[in-house]
Amino acid sequence: MKISIREEEFILDKERAIYLPSEQLLAISDLHLGKAAHFRKAGLAVPNSVSQNDLSRLAGLMEKYFPKQLLINGDMFHSDYNAEIDEFARWKENFREINFILVKGNHDKQSEKVYKNLAIEVQEPNYQTDKFCFIHDLTHCNSNLYTISGHIHPGISIYNNAKQRLKFPCFYFGEHHAILPAFSNFTGLQLVKAKENDLVFAITPTKIVKV
Amino acid sequence: MQKTKGYQQIISWLKADKRKPFDFQKDTWEYYLQGYSGLVNAPTGFGKTFSVFLGVVIEALNQDKPAKGVQLIWITPLRSLAKDIARAMREVLLAIGLDWLVGVRNGDTSQAEKLQQKKAMPEILLITPESLHLLLAQKGSSSLFKNLKCIVADEWHELLGSKRGVLVELAVSRIKGLQKEHGNEILRVWGISATIGNIQEALEVIVPEESAKKMIVRAQLEKKIQIKSILPDTIETLPWAGHLGLKLAHKLIPIINKSKTTLIFINTRGQSEIWYQHLLDIEPDLAGRIAIHHGSIDFELRNWIEDSLHSGLLKAVIATSSLDLGVDFKPVDTVVQIGSPKGVARFLQRAGRSGHSPFEVSKIYFLPTHALELVEAAAIKEAAKENNIESREPFVMVFDTLIQYLVTLAVGDGFDDKQIYEEVKQTNAFKELLPNEWAWAMQFITSGGDSLTAYNEFKKVIKDEDGLWKVKSRQIAMRHRLHIGTIVSDAMLKVKFLSGGYIGMVEEYFVSKLKAGDSFVLAGRILEFVQIKEMTVIVRRSKQKKAISPSWLGGRLPLSSNLGAVLRKKYNEVLDQTHQDEELDIVHPLFKIQEERSHVPKSDELLIEMINNREGFHLFAYPFEGRLVHEILGALVAYRLSKLVPITFSIAMNDYGFELLSDIEIPMDDGIAYEVFSPKNLAEDITLSINSTEMARRKFRDIACIAGLVFQGYPGKYIANKHLQSSAGLFFNVFNDYDKHNLLLRQAYEEVFYQQLEEPRLAAALNRIQNSNIVITYPKRFTPLSFPIKVDSLRANMSSEELEHRIERMKKEVFK
Repeated sequence: MKISIREEEFILDKERAIYLPSEQLLAISDLHLGKAAHFRKAGLAVPNSVSQNDLSRLAGLMEKYFPKQLLINGDMFHSDYNAEIDEFARWKENFREINFILVKGNHDKQSEKVYKNLAIEVQEPNYQTDKFCFIHDLTHCNSNLYTISGHIHPGISIYNNAKQRLKFPCFYFGEHHAILPAFSNFTGLQLVKAKENDLVFAITPTKIVKV
Repeated sequence: MQKTKGYQQIISWLKADKRKPFDFQKDTWEYYLQGYSGLVNAPTGFGKTFSVFLGVVIEALNQDKPAKGVQLIWITPLRSLAKDIARAMREVLLAIGLDWLVGVRNGDTSQAEKLQQKKAMPEILLITPESLHLLLAQKGSSSLFKNLKCIVADEWHELLGSKRGVLVELAVSRIKGLQKEHGNEILRVWGISATIGNIQEALEVIVPEESAKKMIVRAQLEKKIQIKSILPDTIETLPWAGHLGLKLAHKLIPIINKSKTTLIFINTRGQSEIWYQHLLDIEPDLAGRIAIHHGSIDFELRNWIEDSLHSGLLKAVIATSSLDLGVDFKPVDTVVQIGSPKGVARFLQRAGRSGHSPFEVSKIYFLPTHALELVEAAAIKEAAKENNIESREPFVMVFDTLIQYLVTLAVGDGFDDKQIYEEVKQTNAFKELLPNEWAWAMQFITSGGDSLTAYNEFKKVIKDEDGLWKVKSRQIAMRHRLHIGTIVSDAMLKVKFLSGGYIGMVEEYFVSKLKAGDSFVLAGRILEFVQIKEMTVIVRRSKQKKAISPSWLGGRLPLSSNLGAVLRKKYNEVLDQTHQDEELDIVHPLFKIQEERSHVPKSDELLIEMINNREGFHLFAYPFEGRLVHEILGALVAYRLSKLVPITFSIAMNDYGFELLSDIEIPMDDGIAYEVFSPKNLAEDITLSINSTEMARRKFRDIACIAGLVFQGYPGKYIANKHLQSSAGLFFNVFNDYDKHNLLLRQAYEEVFYQQLEEPRLAAALNRIQNSNIVITYPKRFTPLSFPIKVDSLRANMSSEELEHRIERMKKEVFK
């Protein structure tokens, strides 16, 4: 699905990512790497394959768009350092030519050294291009640029008179700002309310549908 | 026995009080002294407590020196029961001079008292199933039960049909195992139960060993019960649907006034708050003389209410199931049931709250909340007269409870997996447990499920140097102790006055919608929300007269199949007027409307109503099989219809029938009707229809909590669970996507299948329908039968359309 924001083309991908051809930039938000391992450390038996699946989806996106930069719009790592971060480091070896940018989110509490060793460029509080400002939590942005945030794991619920209801993760594009869906499959949803003229795209298992 | 010292002592004590034992009590003592385990089946009010209890006392008196240490564990399902039973036991012990302590241990027990108990365990311990498991989760607990003579599961019928019953089974199996280790197998296990349909099975569950000496002791006593419906003057007074019944409240006032003390039972906590306010509004004289009692009201307040009930200070108490069981409130002479009790056993149990002494008559009034409930009243009277009492099906193969139990043992003194496997296999709940299922459960708690990756940081239960499986992390242990139990509720917050003093609890979800200054009702008081502080809701008294009452989420009770069958019969009797029931006379005009607009189904007919209005296209069908079966049947019919054309339904149901609602026309004629209600391919179609609705997902909510995957927190106990928030729904998705063989997931589907579905019942219903006449009508407006289903808000979905296609159509509707 292609859309245009401030005369700039965006490609929305059903794997919960956006691609900006002009910047050759792939952007995702709320990756929550290490969440499954964090749960397992605390004795909650989440299948390991959850995180592996997230990484293989991300690899798929890299091979589809060949971006110069991958921007992670906050909450890259879920919690303390654990084995899943080592796993990520090995995985990242495959993408040496791509510049990883992290806009820090509320979960990103690793030491500077960790990011440095992983060769991740850390931006705080936001990352700006000519027209856009990427920030994790929208409420913290003061920029006049069009703001692209994450953080809330947006979802949309659709219903009709016949009392039927559907719920999906979504992309949200308002007049001045956008919210990206959480990339990780191991995340919940917070429903957003769309105002008139807002664009909301529901993400179904097979494609993206404008609501 | 008659010659023993202990027996003589008991008899002379009773004689001094001008009493003598009932035969069933004497029989129980005899069997107990001979080393039997068993089940006492007696109605409330006949001293069933004194059956097993005095047996244990007699045995102690017969010894030269009464034994010390825990002798008797008395399991009660309700906290409120323990206090009263303890009081009665202490009186006996004092009167006959047996130097034993009686201790109560449950969620209300103070920390200081628990510490005191740790130093010197009382000889008699009154405990809930949850607290018994908490005891097993304590270090050093395995030595507590060395000299235990007897475990009693009081109100066993109540525990039997829930996972709490499985908690009892598991705890008993462990204590037996511990005694065996000490070469000291002296434990006898007794259940005490009201009459249920499967009393023999109830015995086999509490005493599962085939070789055990076991016996059912029945009290051949009958409790007289008088049932009266509170009737409206005309049927127009009553709404066609609803749960409140406030329109008839004025008829309750004279009943309260002429009774000494009235207990008013209502099905939900939210409704009880509304009724309390309403009664005060219409009869201000009752102020200070009525009270409200439910599980979310603070312990101190509940205590005060219970004490006031004993002393006769209160004219009426509005209660939920929190006062259902055994407590003996002498002054109570009248009971009122508001709304359908949904089952014969529950109704009789509540009736038994009045006229508690053996030969008094129990008096109960039934107050209908909507018109069709009058038919239910007639049905319940008949079922009660014929003693048509439901069975309670015991839970089996509940892996969530097994996993919780294993971690409980690991948090306590640790366990040997081979030994516990043998013990668990002895229980009724897990007698079918396969070695590979056991291996899965062990893997789930030790390595976090089948893990194929090299790195595995999973930490929960690990093997200690002494070869026992233990929990080493203090955090995990603490989190586990806080959530032992199988009753799952939403996160609850305590409610406290700004000036101090606790009032009760409300669900976090309800509070999250409140703004400072908003008012709500709790424990009959109107409160103004101030703020949330440290997991406590701070309030002050509100000046407002009216306020919203919190809705505590909670399962709705389904109509039992016994009552459903009688209900079908009563429906037939209304129109042909061959009956003796005053309720049916009142409801007759409503059935005339039903007949005019559509049709009143006879017992050999299935009625289908097709109604089409601005909401969409409705299909109503009325098999009268109870809510749970209708949920499955609705999904099944929806699934089969959706195979004919691409279509999406929302499904609603009540105890009488179900509704399929679609935004496009539903194909229906005689041929289709017989086809979609056919018993052919049943098992396969049901599996497919369950998979495509949310039923299993809903069951999984409880399973995830019990198995410790989702931690909910406890009222007032704040636990830092940093970065560990998640929901059962998320786990359901993740297991579905990545771990199909997870047994907890399988359990969710099986709970739908076996507990809800009752496949034989469904097949029987479908066969009945095949042989009956299907009548399809096309009413212009909603009918008295369809209206209550239509307004029901709990709905499921079923679709055979492409998702994207649905969204397209739905959004057109939203934005038009």
